[in-house]
Amino acid sequence: MKKFVCCFALTLCQFLAPQLAAAEKVLHLFNWNDYIADDTVAGFEAACQCKLVQDYYSSTEEMMAKLLAGGGDYDVVIPTQNAVEALIKQGFLMPLDKSKLSNIGNMASGFLNKAYDPDNIYSLPYAFTTTLLGYNETKLNELGLKADDWALIFDPAVLSKIKGKVTVMDDSEELLAAAMLYLGYSINDTDEKHLKEAQQVIIKAKPYWAAFNSSSYIKELTVGNIWVAHGYSSDMFQARADAMDAGRAFSVNFALPKQGAVLALDNMVIPKKARNPELALQFINFMMEPKNAAELTNVIGTGNPNAAATEYILPEIKSISAIFPDAELQAKLDTLAARTAKQRRFQGRLWTEIKVR
Amino acid sequence: MSRALPKLSAKTLLSLPPAAYLFLLFALPSLMMLFASFRYPGEYGGLAPWYYLEEGSLSFDLTLENWLRLFESDIYLGLLIKSLFIALLTTAICALMAYPVALTIARARKGRRELLLLLVILPFWSNFLVRIYAWMIIFSPQGAMTIAINELRALFDLAPISLMFSNVAVITCLVYVHLPFMILPLYANLEKHDPRLLDAAQDLGASRSQRFWLITWPQALPGLFAGAVLVFIPSLGIFAIPDLLGGTDGIMIGNVIKQQFVESRDWPFGSVLSLVLTGFTLLLIGLAAHFGRARGSEGKA
Repeated sequence: MKKFVCCFALTLCQFLAPQLAAAEKVLHLFNWNDYIADDTVAGFEAACQCKLVQDYYSSTEEMMAKLLAGGGDYDVVIPTQNAVEALIKQGFLMPLDKSKLSNIGNMASGFLNKAYDPDNIYSLPYAFTTTLLGYNETKLNELGLKADDWALIFDPAVLSKIKGKVTVMDDSEELLAAAMLYLGYSINDTDEKHLKEAQQVIIKAKPYWAAFNSSSYIKELTVGNIWVAHGYSSDMFQARADAMDAGRAFSVNFALPKQGAVLALDNMVIPKKARNPELALQFINFMMEPKNAAELTNVIGTGNPNAAATEYILPEIKSISAIFPDAELQAKLDTLAARTAKQRRFQGRLWTEIKVR
Repeated sequence: MSRALPKLSAKTLLSLPPAAYLFLLFALPSLMMLFASFRYPGEYGGLAPWYYLEEGSLSFDLTLENWLRLFESDIYLGLLIKSLFIALLTTAICALMAYPVALTIARARKGRRELLLLLVILPFWSNFLVRIYAWMIIFSPQGAMTIAINELRALFDLAPISLMFSNVAVITCLVYVHLPFMILPLYANLEKHDPRLLDAAQDLGASRSQRFWLITWPQALPGLFAGAVLVFIPSLGIFAIPDLLGGTDGIMIGNVIKQQFVESRDWPFGSVLSLVLTGFTLLLIGLAAHFGRARGSEGKA
């Protein structure tokens, strides 16, 4: 009997041990989809002797809705700057223990100490993307159209040549911001009169668009169903690579409109209720290593806030002006600020009217 | 008496879990939403506090604003009517398509019947979204179906059409997704019909259409009604299909509700819209049940 109990206990241990070990060493990352290189994941898992488990979101709103409703105990989240601001004000984040972050010196000073988180108490930059226009290069060349202007998706005279072949983001903030830039306003202009003008621009252009689409424009562009898509630079980078790999008869490219664009600076933060803050700090430090940061740009096509990473970035990617814009265009990139409840409500109503009219 | 009492309590006991389930997952959330609909949205989402303690005095912060907003412009009610129309159209098409299928299954041989039923249920083995993505490929301008249709149209000198991102795509998918929910209750109903009634009617000289309208139709109504409810309610509130397949004007009321909760983080107004949708649904089902019963008893008489 004793033997049996021993045997049983041993077996039980065998079953439980790996699970217990795993329960201790799992990093739960809540990230944008397609926002970390597979090799980087493998590299981190090897370095920390742990598992990296990811959940994904495709919009800030989706991420905020899940976190604020109390969903998911994540160790690291990668929110965009305006969401960082909101999460800090909600008291949702844990201050970062800088003594554990030896790689902090690698970051470019221009991306640190920003208004949304002075002194980077809660957040450190991860990567940035811009919201721009991806396009079918072959088709636009045939039609003699240029993609470096928001007129491509807002001016009915231009749109009449590509009717039904354009998608715009199904995202009120991004689309209103693009329309504001087209009108020459700032993306953070909350003047209701200006926003209404932007709404009118969108309503006039809407009949020429095929759909509001934030989820499948990469595919639609690479298959050739859509010729112009409004979306994130990293997605367009992927569409360009996919079209090349699939050996399409056309090429996909992307460009920053000359009026400027929304810059989304994504940051690494640790929620207060993270189960594994030590591991979270280790991950943040790992991502600030120049080679790992460079991989993000080389594989995903993001902009990079890591100064030391520059030397590891492939030359063919450094030459893409939409990812590495010149100083003049760089100055026209702007980040979205957090909106108050009243402003969100006003924008929400404009958006519903856009969708219905 | 002594025997009836335990029987009653057993029945009550059995109905307790479903009643508790409905209370916890329908009545209680609806009440919470009703309360939320009178509150202000929180600065970063969620809800603002509904009372304040200032210098020892209690003040409440509740409002009718969210409900008034519903009538501020015609867009919300207009969208509700449009969604009702799309859901009704879906239900009607489902009913027309499901009837012959259900009848075929009900009249099939025993062994074949099981196989046919299995085929009806088969689509449920893959995820709903996966099936919608499959339709996106079918509808795509580079898809075989669109190309075939446009080649055919070209023969008659008609301009090519685009199926993706259109109301046609939305309704096709709504019908596709909900068709089994109409077939199954209809089948369950038709299977029970006594074929001898039809034989008797034929012997007595009833014509084909008389046999259908006087015998089959009144008997099939409960099945049709059950199917209609199962199709109508989900298609009224759906947002995924118009999101993925709809064009720039393809949204339904479900999308606006989702927008309030996710994008605008405006729970109070989202609650108002949800409650209006629930109310409309209950009202319509109530009306349908009322008239269905009236028609049913008339048929029996």
